[in-house]
Amino acid sequence: MAGGTLLEASGISRSFGGLKAVSNLSFAVRENEILGLIGPNGAGKSTTFNLISGYYRPHAGKLTFAGRDITGFKPSKVGRLGLVRTFQHHSLLADLSVYENILTGAYMFVRDAAEREQRIRETAGLVGLTSHMDELAKNLPHGHQRLLSIAIAFASRPKLLCLDEPLTGLNGAEINHALDVIRRIRDDFGTTILLVDHNIRAVMRTCGRIVVLNFGEKLAEGSPEDVSRNPEVIRAYLGGGTA
Amino acid sequence: MSNAKWADVIGWALLAVLLVLALTSGDTYTLKVVLWISLNILAAAALRFVMLTGELNIATAAFWGVGAYVAAILTAWYKLPFFLSLLIGGLAPMLLSVLFGYVTLRTKGPYFMLISFAFTEVLRLIYTQTESIGGNSGMIGIYPPRWLDPYYSAIVVAIVAALLAVFFWLERGAFGKLLKAIQNNDAVTESVGIDVLKMKVICLAVASFAAGVGGALFAHANRVISPGDFSFLVAVYALAYVKIGGETQFSGAIIGAVLLTLLNQYVIAFGHYEHLFFGGAIVVAMLVLPNGLMGLFERVAIAFGGTRENAAPAARGGH
Repeated sequence: MAGGTLLEASGISRSFGGLKAVSNLSFAVRENEILGLIGPNGAGKSTTFNLISGYYRPHAGKLTFAGRDITGFKPSKVGRLGLVRTFQHHSLLADLSVYENILTGAYMFVRDAAEREQRIRETAGLVGLTSHMDELAKNLPHGHQRLLSIAIAFASRPKLLCLDEPLTGLNGAEINHALDVIRRIRDDFGTTILLVDHNIRAVMRTCGRIVVLNFGEKLAEGSPEDVSRNPEVIRAYLGGGTA
Repeated sequence: MSNAKWADVIGWALLAVLLVLALTSGDTYTLKVVLWISLNILAAAALRFVMLTGELNIATAAFWGVGAYVAAILTAWYKLPFFLSLLIGGLAPMLLSVLFGYVTLRTKGPYFMLISFAFTEVLRLIYTQTESIGGNSGMIGIYPPRWLDPYYSAIVVAIVAALLAVFFWLERGAFGKLLKAIQNNDAVTESVGIDVLKMKVICLAVASFAAGVGGALFAHANRVISPGDFSFLVAVYALAYVKIGGETQFSGAIIGAVLLTLLNQYVIAFGHYEHLFFGGAIVVAMLVLPNGLMGLFERVAIAFGGTRENAAPAARGGH
């Protein structure tokens, strides 16, 4: 399953004022894997997301995506190259219908109207929102809203789909459904996925490999088993005294 | 038929009435009122088109003015054919708006509004300081061709209707949906590969073309233009039309412009207090008519058993 490297971050850094939000971070996302990115609050997960998707420009380091140097590219350009991310908050077009939300995701990638229609239907079907096409995004229940934000991003059929806390606020059944959707996106479409979430158990269950961040640096990397046994990771999460 | 479609019908019906009046009425006063209503509709529609992206573009007034001055110079000085000056009167502010937008549309909300306001006033001050275009007293002798004179109101209504048809078509299609997507959440829109700045610049350029043509039509209707005609107040009036008509519906700009222009025929007797009337109208509309008259119509329609477009799940019997 492990293919070549799709995204490579080498030594990326970004600070805000005196705070080093991400510091000399290197990691690689391999083709067709689901890579988990975890870490305690403030570890730099969101900053990492913003860096790789072009919303922040790294102060140092290099980003290579699909063999191309994308360091400093605008988010729209990164998106057009096939690296698309979702958002933790305000992840929807609230006053637009479900249909229009997914249309926005597909717009740049499918020019033909009939083909675009097909793409929108397929994407809505995948996340299970087919019967809610005309509803405004803001009127959907929370679980559907999270799925819709995945649908917007996936409507672009990216090479790399980066999901920023897609499970937040979901109940047990909704988590299982969302994880099922995420796995199907990988298995049926060959899409590589980078998953950030606070639900460690769900991440462990879904991801082939995991990168752990703490204080803006990489603390550990490896299989879920390795990572969960790593004493430094345990200390970071439990706030052990020697950290 | 859904309320949204009815709302569109109201707007186009009003334009049709204006066109019929312009073609059939022999009364000079009626023709003048029809002319002013049409121009106000165009200003309101141009302002509203950029509002689709969430930005309040006071510079609608600036581009209106550039169109007026450019077309006036072309017909009064260079004797260019009227329709050609009209076209260039639209293209010149359109090009200017591309430059203006490319620099300024990186900002949004109050920042963009203030920049567009400042831009408008700077242009106005430049006119007052440029003696070659008449300085403070402006330009005179801007006539449409003589053969056109009796049909001028009808021509204006027809051109306004054609430009509104373009706005309507663009808003209805994928382009309009993307503009609304940008208004809702530009970060999400950007993430799926859409160049938000480029979209906003295109939107501004289309609106500025229409505003420029509007200014050119205004110049030839008035025969005289002066810098004072192109202050930020042009955009404030347009905002009043949009807000009172109802911002979310295409017809809002039309119905607001029709109503306020008609009312203004009476308030004009108050002289300088006319501004108070528009200010007051905006305040009242914001307080009691959250989505203007179109919103009021919608509420009435629902009260009489209609359904709201895009109803909440509960209103449709759950999900």
